[in-house]
This record gives sequence, structure tokens and C-alpha cells, in this order.
Amino acid sequence: MALVRTLGLRAATLLGVLLTVLVLLVVTLGASGFSDRILTAVINEEIRGLRTSQATQSRNPEALEAALEVRRTELIDFYGLNEAWWQRMPDTVFRVITLDLGDARTLRSSKGSRKVSDIVLERLPNTALLLTSSLVITAVIGMAVGVKMATRVGSKLDRTVSFGAAVSFALPAWWTGILLILLLSFTFNILPSGGMYSTPPPEGGFARFFDLLKHALLPIITLVLVSVGPYLYSVRTMTLNVAQEDHVLVARAKGLPEGKVMRQHILRVAAPPIVTGLILSLVGSLGGSILVETVFNWNGMGRLYFEAVAGAPDEGLIVALTFIFTLMYVVARFVLEVLYLLLDPRVRYA
Amino acid sequence: MNIKLSDAFSVLISSYTGKAGLILLAFLVGISIWVLATYPLDFGAKEWSNPAVWADNPKAVPPVWVNLFPGTDRVSHKVLDSDTPDDLRTVGRVKAETYRLSFSHNSDEFPTFISFTLNDVEFEGRPPLITLSLVRPDGKTVRLLQHVPSGARDGESAPIIRYKQTPFRLLLSANQTVRAALADFHNEQFGTDFDERDLRGLGDQAAFGVPIPGDDAAFESLRGDYEFVIEATFSSTEDRLGSVKTVVGGDVFGGMGTDSQGRDLAVGLLFGFPVALFIGLLASTLTTTIGTTLGIVSGYMGGWVDTAIQRLTDVVANVPLLPILIFMVIVLGSNLFLIILMLVAFSWPSLTILIRSMVLQLRSGQLVEATQALGASKTRIMIRHIFPQTAPFVFAQMIFFTPAAILAEAGLSFLGLGDPSIPTWGQILEQGFRTGAVYVGYWWWVLPPGLLIVLTAMAFVLIALAVEPVLNPRLRNMR
Repeated sequence: MALVRTLGLRAATLLGVLLTVLVLLVVTLGASGFSDRILTAVINEEIRGLRTSQATQSRNPEALEAALEVRRTELIDFYGLNEAWWQRMPDTVFRVITLDLGDARTLRSSKGSRKVSDIVLERLPNTALLLTSSLVITAVIGMAVGVKMATRVGSKLDRTVSFGAAVSFALPAWWTGILLILLLSFTFNILPSGGMYSTPPPEGGFARFFDLLKHALLPIITLVLVSVGPYLYSVRTMTLNVAQEDHVLVARAKGLPEGKVMRQHILRVAAPPIVTGLILSLVGSLGGSILVETVFNWNGMGRLYFEAVAGAPDEGLIVALTFIFTLMYVVARFVLEVLYLLLDPRVRYA
Repeated sequence: MNIKLSDAFSVLISSYTGKAGLILLAFLVGISIWVLATYPLDFGAKEWSNPAVWADNPKAVPPVWVNLFPGTDRVSHKVLDSDTPDDLRTVGRVKAETYRLSFSHNSDEFPTFISFTLNDVEFEGRPPLITLSLVRPDGKTVRLLQHVPSGARDGESAPIIRYKQTPFRLLLSANQTVRAALADFHNEQFGTDFDERDLRGLGDQAAFGVPIPGDDAAFESLRGDYEFVIEATFSSTEDRLGSVKTVVGGDVFGGMGTDSQGRDLAVGLLFGFPVALFIGLLASTLTTTIGTTLGIVSGYMGGWVDTAIQRLTDVVANVPLLPILIFMVIVLGSNLFLIILMLVAFSWPSLTILIRSMVLQLRSGQLVEATQALGASKTRIMIRHIFPQTAPFVFAQMIFFTPAAILAEAGLSFLGLGDPSIPTWGQILEQGFRTGAVYVGYWWWVLPPGLLIVLTAMAFVLIALAVEPVLNPRLRNMR
């Protein structure tokens, strides 16, 4: 029962986060006048388009102006501009929270749909591909090297890798990407500098997959390079902390083989924070993906966010995407909580 | 548990990484102080974003030192100016001044442009006549330009002043009259049959070369000593001229090269030092202040205050930073202080969680119990007895937040959301990336700013690594 209660509490907090973020977004948009400004611009644009298309047919300019005025009132009513922003707000929040994300203004999915949900569903797998593969690689390298470092603290390996970890932490993901493009793409011409497929894409399933892999390589290397350092360093520290506990001393005193002490007495205890660190680094990459996808022209969620923001900002799309980013973040956090429960028995009985 | 701040410093100085970090930091701070002392504070708006300042620089060229690489022979950039005539003659009321600007050209490549600038001309009656000629190493002289400033307008009284606010500047190689003069020069001296139109885009080559025989207009670079001769003939001895300047555009420039607008990257990069440190230190100071205060209050006060702060911390800790940051900047505008405030607003929770758990232990400690028994107020206990015990941790966290803030600002700038009035390394990189510098190999434009960001972040990360044993005493005797 305690289990359900703990999980329920976490779920409630995370839902609170979602709602808070959403309200924060909508209030910022409304109170800063940004929302009114954008909607007015949209209506003006539509009226102007209507005027140019009607001007050739209508001979009576006064009747045209009157018709346009009627249309303007309709539009103002439609977009809710005749109400104050805080009157429109609950409606927006409710729609977004029920995942009714509305239409994008100029962006389209590859099939031409303007529904935000269609565009997001099309881009989401591309981001997932980058994030999951870099996460797996980070996890494998981080755990293997981190644990090895912990067994040899103060050695040459430990010091070198610690220094490397510091560099990795200090590296901005996007600059690392630019560096790799400059080196591997421009100078040596080994890998493509951006995009997801060659133009034209190669025929056949296998060739296509190989092409995708080739394009994904640089972004994945970039993400791994910037996240592996901090992660393996934290694995090292956490393993080290446990290795100094009394129960490990007892286990060694009993004469247990070192491998067994490592696996059952050190790593088992250190597992929960190690997994936490991993998911936290995934959560970090979520934001980083905006930058990395922009650098590599990768058609994922991050680049979509950038496209919604750059040039003429699409207000509805920005709110929807920020919400989805928060949702992805919150889901990752919840997965973390569940994993924690599975790995750490103490939490279950708290 | 009881660690003094001075212990933290001694641990810091005794370790390798700590020393490296401190040296790096001293270097960054030194340059920042120098920049603050020598740069105007409104450098961004007044100089960096003002194209007129950079007009005479070559566009998107690498630094001078690339000529050290074997096989590279690029034309260096020469700015020649003078405000005192080398020769002065007066005949009656008429005064003739001659300025000589000599330089040598020692490359097989041609200069990228030639420009002529005239500053502050003052005359009584008739405007002066100004001529510009180029004396070449082959002894031949080509007259490039004759210029007369416009005379007195209606209602204007002597002395008449021209080119004081906006200097007279002419890009010679792109000027039709100059090209016609060059065509005549070659036809006369080398027996070619050029037309002004033949030399379109070849003005620099014609001025600094000898024609290669053939149908097309083609030139071979003429190495040697050149001299620009500027003669100004005034109709009154009272008339004068401020200064003259000719620029022979190279395809290398300065210590760091230029961007596509001709801006000297070294100047912009230097300005980035204090800005980066300012962003990092201000954000981390505010973040640690808020995080520590909330952590101590939450841990010590307990009750509903604790619950409220914990809930708030929970929510803020789970907000994804970059998307929210981007959103806020788009809606509220790119202002550096706003960006820093937003960074602070979403990064304090981790510290609050840490400090709270420490305070929970401290609260039941004997020190706090004793002061409570002596009747100390809650505020006094929190400030005088609890805070000092958390100080080393707070200090370490502050170091740790600094690079995070610098990297976050750089990321925002890279998306084109930086404060346009204050140039930062991230913005320089963004402009480089946006104009495609990466894909054409303008490495001098994208490598240094990124490297500086990494170095600055490294300085703090190294120091943070070095103070880690202070917080985690288990690590202390391990090395």
C-alpha cells in the first residue's frame, strides 16, 4: 500500500509540474501582451489577403470595406480577442492538457497536415532515435569506465579520465557538433554534415537504413561526448562512496572474492543513484537536443521547436511544444521513480 | 561535518586540478579587468553593431599568422594614414600639400580592395582639388582619382567644412572612373586595348599587376615598393585638410581574422571575457543565495513553511530549463538581465534540497541546542550558527553553477536569442554558423569563441573538482 501511496504522491507532484508550467506559459503570453499582438497580426494578415482577392471582383469599394469589417469582427470573436487574456486562458489550458494541440500556422508535416499532433508524431521518433541510442552508449561507457575508475582512485587512469570528464562537462553540445562537422565533414569528408537522408535517398530498405545510420552518427557522437563525462564521474563517486562503507569491509573480511564484493555489495547498493544519474542525463539531453538537432539539421522535436521560435513565432505551436517537452521530461522523471522503487527496497517501506 | 572555508582553500590549492583552475581563472579575470578598463561600456551598440566602424576591414579573412603555415602566401592588410603633409609649397595664396603613403606588396596574390578616405576638409572660398596617384615599383605612375569637395551652398558662410561628421570614403576598385583611369594607364604603358568594362572586378589586379599578353584581361602580381601620393591644392593658405587614409585590403587580418562584415574578431572575443564572467558569477551568486536561504529556512523552521518550500522546490526542479528559457526570451525579449534572472529562477532547487537535508542534521546538533537554550532568536541561529556550517558546500555549489550559467547563455545566444546590445562568444558563433561559416571552413570564426567558452567553463569545473574532497572527506586521503 505504501508503494501505491509513494508513487501516487510522485505522480501528483509531476502533474502539478505540468499544470504549473502550462499556466506559467499562458500567463506569460497573456500578461506580456504577446498573445494579443500575435493574434492581431494574424487577423490583419487574413483581412489583407481577403482584400486583395476580393478587390478584383468587387466594384463597390464601400461594400467591400463593410464586408471586410464584418469578417474582422467574426475573426476577433473567433480568436477571442474581444475578451481579456485571462478570460481566454482557461480554455487554452484545458485544450492543451487534453492534448488537443490545434493547428500550426505555417509549419506542415511531410504529408502536408497542419495539425500540431501530426507534426509532433512525425518528429518524435526521430528525436527518440537520437536520444535513446546516445543514452545506451553513454550508459555502457559510463558504467564500465566509472566502476573501473572507482577501483583505482588516484591512479593515472583515474586522473586522466577525471580531467576528460571536466572537459566533457565544459563542452557545449552545439559547439562540439560544429567542431565535428568542421573536422569529419568539411576537412576529411567522411560523414555528412547534416540532414537525415542523402538527396536523393538510396533505394531499398537496407541501403536506406545504412544511410540514416550514417547521418545519425555525428549527432549521436556529439550527444555522447557531452553527456558521458559527467555521468562516468558521478558513477565513480557513487561507487566510491559505497565502497568505503562498513558492510563492504565486513564482506572483504569474510574473505568473499573481490568480484562478488563488487557486484553484490557495492554495485547493488550503488545501483539506484547510478540509474538516477542516467535518467537525469537523458532529461538533460532533452534540452540539448534542441541545439544538437539545429546544428545537424535533424528533423526532430528540437529542430521543430527552433522552427516554431525562429522568424515569426507561432504562439500556439510554442505553447504546445513547450508542453510536450515538459510532458516528455515528466514522463522520464516518473520512469525514474518507478525504477527507483524497483531498485531500492528502502523506498518501498518508507 | 565541521569544515571551515579556509580548509576548502587549502585543499583547493594543494591539488593539481585546483591549481590549473585557479591559474586559468586568474588569466580570465586579468583579461576581463583590462577589457573593462579600455573598452567603452556601450561597445556592443556603438562599435560592434556599427558597420561603419568595420568598413575598411577585409571580410571573412583568416588571421595574419596563417602565413606561417607552409604554402600559404596571403596579402597582408595595410592601413596607411597621415595627418601631416610630407611636402608643402605655397605660391602666393595657393597652397599645395603632398602626402606620401608608402608600403610594399610582396605576394603573388592581389589585394582584395583599395579604399581612400578623406577627413575634415575646411576652405574659405573655392574648394580644394585633391588627386590620388599610385607610384608602382616599375617606376610608372597611375593617377587614380581627382576629387573636388562640393562648394558653398546657399546661405553657407566661410569657413566651409566638409567630411567632418561623415568622412569621404571611396572604394576605388569598385569605382567606374578609377577603372577607366586604370584602363587608360595600361593601354598607354603596356599597349593593351582595355575598356573600362574589361576591368570590371579586376581593378585591384590592374593597379597591382602587369598585364599577361592575350585576349582576356589578366594580370600578374607586381611585387615591390608602392607609394600612394595624395596632392591637395588649396586656393587659400588658410584652407586645410584633416587627414587622409588609404587601405590596401588584404586577405588576412589581425590576430583572429574577421567575420563576414569585416569585424575584427579579436576585438569581439576580448569583449566576451568580462561578459561571460559577469553572467556566470551573477547567476551563480543569485542562485546560491536563493537556494541556500530557502534550504536553511525550510530545514530549520519545519512545519508548513517546510512543506510549502518543499512543494515549490519539487515543481521548479522538474521544469525543463532550456525550452522554458527559450520561450521566455521570445515572449519577453532578449535582455541579458532577463536571461540571467530566468536562469536563476529555475536552477536553485537542487541546492535547496541539499542544504535542507544538511540543516535537518544540524538542527538536532548540540551547537544549535545550546544556542537555543541561551535564548538566541531563530533568525540569529540560522544566520550565525547554521549558515557557517553549510558555507563550504554553498561555496562549492556556487563554483559549480557558474559554468552551467555560462553554457546556458551561450546556448541561447547560439539559437539567435542573445541580447543584441552585448556581444558574447555565443553570438559570434551563432553568426558564424548562420552565415554558413562551418560549411565553407571559416575555422577562425567558429573555433576560438567555442574554445573560450570551454576554457572559461573548465576553469570553474576544475576548481569544483578540486574542492570536492572538502565536501566528501572520504576522498581526501585517497590521493
